Amino acid sequence: MSRTPPMLTAEVLTESHWIAVTQLCELCRLDLAAVEELAELGVVSPRQGRAADWQFPATVLPRLRIVSRLMRDLGVNVSGAVLALELLESQRALERRLRALEGLLAAER
Amino acid sequence: MEFRDYYQVLGVERTATADQIKSAWRRLARKYHPDVSKEPDAEKRFKDMQEAYEVLRDPEKRAAYDQLGSQWKSGEQFRPPPDWGNGFEFGGGRGGRGGPGGGRRRRAEEPANGTSQDGDFSDFFGSLFGGGSPFAQHRPRGGRDHHARIDIDLAAAFRGTTTLLELKRPELKPDGTLEVRTHTVRVTIPAGVTEGQLIRLAGQGEGAPEGGSAGDLYLETHILPDPLYQLDGRDVTLTLPVAPWEAALGASVTVPTLGGPVDMRIAPGAESGQKLRLRGRGLPGQPPGDQYVQLKIVLPPASTPEAKSLYEQMRSSLDFDPRAQLKGTHT
Repeated sequence: MSRTPPMLTAEVLTESHWIAVTQLCELCRLDLAAVEELAELGVVSPRQGRAADWQFPATVLPRLRIVSRLMRDLGVNVSGAVLALELLESQRALERRLRALEGLLAAER
Repeated sequence: MEFRDYYQVLGVERTATADQIKSAWRRLARKYHPDVSKEPDAEKRFKDMQEAYEVLRDPEKRAAYDQLGSQWKSGEQFRPPPDWGNGFEFGGGRGGRGGPGGGRRRRAEEPANGTSQDGDFSDFFGSLFGGGSPFAQHRPRGGRDHHARIDIDLAAAFRGTTTLLELKRPELKPDGTLEVRTHTVRVTIPAGVTEGQLIRLAGQGEGAPEGGSAGDLYLETHILPDPLYQLDGRDVTLTLPVAPWEAALGASVTVPTLGGPVDMRIAPGAESGQKLRLRGRGLPGQPPGDQYVQLKIVLPPASTPEAKSLYEQMRSSLDFDPRAQLKGTHT
């Protein structure tokens, strides 16, 4: 006997969602000092004011979550994680270009 | 549930020191970290390692795990002993991370949460060390948020989708033993999600046993590779084969897009590799992405007398030297 599973309401955090720095810290598992360092490095650009009052668009989350995972799992510091993130991003962009170019070269079936 | 040999997962002896375990973990983490690794099974490997390290790094959990004995083999059917956890003192401030309970990935046997999020570990881990077990951390206030990953194909990301999600929750049975129970929910993913976005399911995280509000479940989206389209943010790129005369003379061609075929005008004199933009035909959003169409000129084979004769005609009547630019450079 199968019942229809209950429907949940999903809310996608998009650029229209602004999140407070405390929530950002929770979602990314970063501490405030790390977020301040990320702002210093230009990875996030908070509006003026005290760090505790900062707000961010939810679009910053994916990158910050990668930074946080790299820091936590590989034991690198903020600068190291940002460096790795930027290299990964540039590698992915190159791979996309490479695939596009390979698509041009590949013989048709 | 199946027994897991945590020593085997990390590739260390049962007698390994804490330092040896840590160094094995660091070496493997560097190799299999899903954000970095190119290994095909990196995500699963990393999760298994993480679970193993979670137990073996913690002296209390490791001692309890060791008490199960060394006769167990990976994959053997296993039930936790009834006196599990007896004889251990549970002080505060352990490094553990509490119980399982995040989401499960759609269409995969492996639990979701491929990366180093909350401990959505195996049932084996959950039954021994998860929430409700003597090893779980005491959480007096509201429930924690949980994180999981969800795989979505590009077509579903474009038009939105309803997906079934299996959520795991540890529950205490009347006889005091712990059971990880799975319940299925339906989630509607709206159109236009992109790689790495977070989807919040309010109240679906960890329950709060003492009256606080339950945590939320966050799904991190992962868009699966598509055979036709390359995704970059909300933009997609498609390679479109065209005939030489379409490129030379211009043509109106039908191009597949995520929303269905559209007609597109190719201007005369188009070249291979040239990119044309179909504005707003990428993933929906504010603003929506674009579709790029990369032209690829495909030559008809000279496989029939007619085709051969046409090529011969071009050779004799066209004043065309494809190597004109090389002249005088290295000769």
